[in-house]
Amino acid sequence: MADNGGADPVNNNNDTTVGLEGTIIKVTVKTPKDKEEIAISEDASVTQFKEEISRRFKAKQDQLVLIFAGKILKDGDSLNQHGIKDGLTVHLVIKTAHKAGDGASSSSSVTTQVGSSSGNSSGPSSAAHPSTVGSTGGPASAPPQTPNILTGFGGLSSLSSMGMGSANFMELQQQMQSQLMSNPEMLSQIMENPLVQNMMSNPDLMRQMIVANPQMQQLMERNPEISHMLNNPELMRQTMELARNPAMMQEMMRNQDRALSNLESIPGGYNALRRMYTDIQEPMFSAARDQFGNNPFSALGGNSDGGVQPSRTENREPLPNPWGSTNPSEVGGSTGTTGSSATGSTTPNVSNPLGVNSASLGNGMFSSPGMQSLMQQISENPQLMQNMLSAPYMRSIMQSLAQNPDMASQNPASSPSAGENPAQQLMMQQMLQMFAGGNSSSQTPEVQFQQQLEQLGAMGFINREANLQALIATGGDVNAAIERLLGSQPS
Amino acid sequence: MDPNNTSYAVKLYVYDISKGMARQLSPLMLGIQLDGIWHTAIVVHGEEFFYGGDGITNCRPGGTSLGHPNSIIDLGTTEVTEEIFMEYLSSLGESTYRGNQYHLFEWNCNTFSNEVAQFLTGSKIPGHITDLPAEVLSTPFGQALRPLLDSINIAPQGGNTFNGHYGQR
Repeated sequence: MADNGGADPVNNNNDTTVGLEGTIIKVTVKTPKDKEEIAISEDASVTQFKEEISRRFKAKQDQLVLIFAGKILKDGDSLNQHGIKDGLTVHLVIKTAHKAGDGASSSSSVTTQVGSSSGNSSGPSSAAHPSTVGSTGGPASAPPQTPNILTGFGGLSSLSSMGMGSANFMELQQQMQSQLMSNPEMLSQIMENPLVQNMMSNPDLMRQMIVANPQMQQLMERNPEISHMLNNPELMRQTMELARNPAMMQEMMRNQDRALSNLESIPGGYNALRRMYTDIQEPMFSAARDQFGNNPFSALGGNSDGGVQPSRTENREPLPNPWGSTNPSEVGGSTGTTGSSATGSTTPNVSNPLGVNSASLGNGMFSSPGMQSLMQQISENPQLMQNMLSAPYMRSIMQSLAQNPDMASQNPASSPSAGENPAQQLMMQQMLQMFAGGNSSSQTPEVQFQQQLEQLGAMGFINREANLQALIATGGDVNAAIERLLGSQPS
Repeated sequence: MDPNNTSYAVKLYVYDISKGMARQLSPLMLGIQLDGIWHTAIVVHGEEFFYGGDGITNCRPGGTSLGHPNSIIDLGTTEVTEEIFMEYLSSLGESTYRGNQYHLFEWNCNTFSNEVAQFLTGSKIPGHITDLPAEVLSTPFGQALRPLLDSINIAPQGGNTFNGHYGQR
C-alpha cells in the first residue's frame, strides 16, 4: 500500500474540480459481476471517483453506490476519509435505475421490511405425503420404473390385445393406458395373458419398448441411473416379476412406505424425502401423468426389490429394524460403492436405506444398482449420511466390527448373510477399517466397555462374559444390553 | 450534506449441519477433529441469506430446516440499505452465485457468506469456517470421498430463492 502522507491536502470536500494532484493509487472496484482497477488520485473526492467509475463501467453517476468497509461513500466525502488506499477493494453496486436514489443510504423505506414475505415456506407442502413418496419413493432406482413399466406395458398390452402394432400405435397405446388406469381388473387380466407374459419375460424387448417412449428418454437424460437400470437385465426381470403380481406389488408398496416413514423419523431424513420427491418424483409424476391421465398406478412400477421376498406371498419377515444390522453395511456400501463382487440378484430397496432386509444385504450389497442409487441419494444429501451415522450404536458398532472380524460374525448386529460368506465379511470388515481411517481405537471391547461392564455388574448381572457379549452387540448401550441379557431381544 | 447514516447490524449465523456428528465421528473417520460441518448464513435487515444448491436464498432468521444456529457471530454494522443490498444480491445471483455453480468444497455457502460479509462490513468470516474444506481434503478419507462429495449440493429448505429479479421475494 503506497502511503504517501505528504500529499497536499487539496480537494478535500465539496471540490469537484479534477486536479490530479497527489499520488495516484490503484483501487479495485468490484461489482457483483466483475471488477476493474481504477487509478485515482489519493486525495480525490468520492465524486471524482464516481466520475471515473461511471466512465469505466458505463453507468450514470447517479446509479453508483460505493461501499467500503461497510460504509456507503457519499459524494461529499474523500477517499482519504474512508481510508481507501492503494490496492484496496471498494464494492460497487449499480442501481438499476428504479429510483433515482442518491448514491447512498437515505432511502428510509428500508427498515421494517422485516419478516416480510419470503415464504420460509414451511416446507412440508411439497413433500406430498410420505405414502405417495413411499410408493414411488426410492431415489432413481424405483421411480423410473413408474412410467416405465406401465408405458412399455401399455404398449405391450395394446399390442397383444389389438393383435398387432398398428400404424397408430401411439394412439392405441394411449387409449390402452387410459383404460388400464381406470380399470385395475383389466390389468390383472392382461397380465394373465400368456402372450403378455412371454413378452414380459423378455427383458430386451421390454427395455426397447420402454426406451422408445419419448418421455422416458427425457427422464433418462436427466437421470442417467435410469438407463443403467434399464440396462441391467436382472433388474428388469425382477421388475417384471413384480409387475406380474399385484399382491406382491402391494407388499412392495407397503415396504416402501414403511421404509420411507422410517426414513422420515431420522432428523434430516424428512428433507431427504422431500428432496427425493421434488428432484425425482415430480418429473416422474408429470411425465407419467401425461401418459396416464391420472396416475393411480404410479406405485406399481415401484420397485426393484422383487427378489427380496419370496414371490407371490405376503411378507412374513419381521419389520426391519431401522437402526439395526443394516447400518454398517449400508454405510460401508456407500463408501465401497464401486461395486465389487457380490451378485446383484437381491437388491436392497433403495428407498429403504435403513430398513433394508438383511437377507439382501450380503448378496446385493455392492454391485446392486440399488446400492448405487443409495450412494447417489446420499451424495445428494450429505446430511442424510450424517444422520444415518447418527443412529445410536453406529459408531460403536463400526468400531467393534472393524477391530474384530470374529465379532462381526458372531455379532447379530451384522448381517447374517455377511456372516455366512467369508469373502463378504472380509470385504465389509475392510470397508469398516477404511472407514475407521487412521484412527481406529485399539482398545479391546472389554476395556472400552469397562464402565458399562461395571454398571451391569452393579445391577446384578454377574456373568461378565455374557455382559461383554451383550455390550458388544449393542455397541455399549447398557439398557439394550440389559434387554439382551434378559432374553428379550429387540426385533 | 449528511443524511442519516443508519447502520444495520450484520450477523453470521453458523449451523452445524452434521448436528454434532462431525464432532464425534471426525476423529474416527477422518483422523482429525472437526467440531462441525459448518453452514453459514448472513443475517441483516432482519432476514437470513445464504447460498446453496438452489442459488441465493433468503428466509427469516433461523427459519431453515436447520433450525437455530449453533452460534451467531457479530460481523459489525453496515450502512448498506436493504434496497441496495437486494440489488447486490440479485446481481450476484445472476452472475457468480447461481445455483448450478454450487460446489461443496469450492463455491459454497461459506464462500458466499464471506463475500457478502466483506461487502457489507469489510471484514471476513472466521477462518475456521472457510478452511474447513481444505482440512477435510487433507485427510485420506476426504480424498477418497471426494468424487462423492463433489456432487453434493447443500440447500437447506425453508427459503425463497432469488431469481435475479429485484424485489421478487
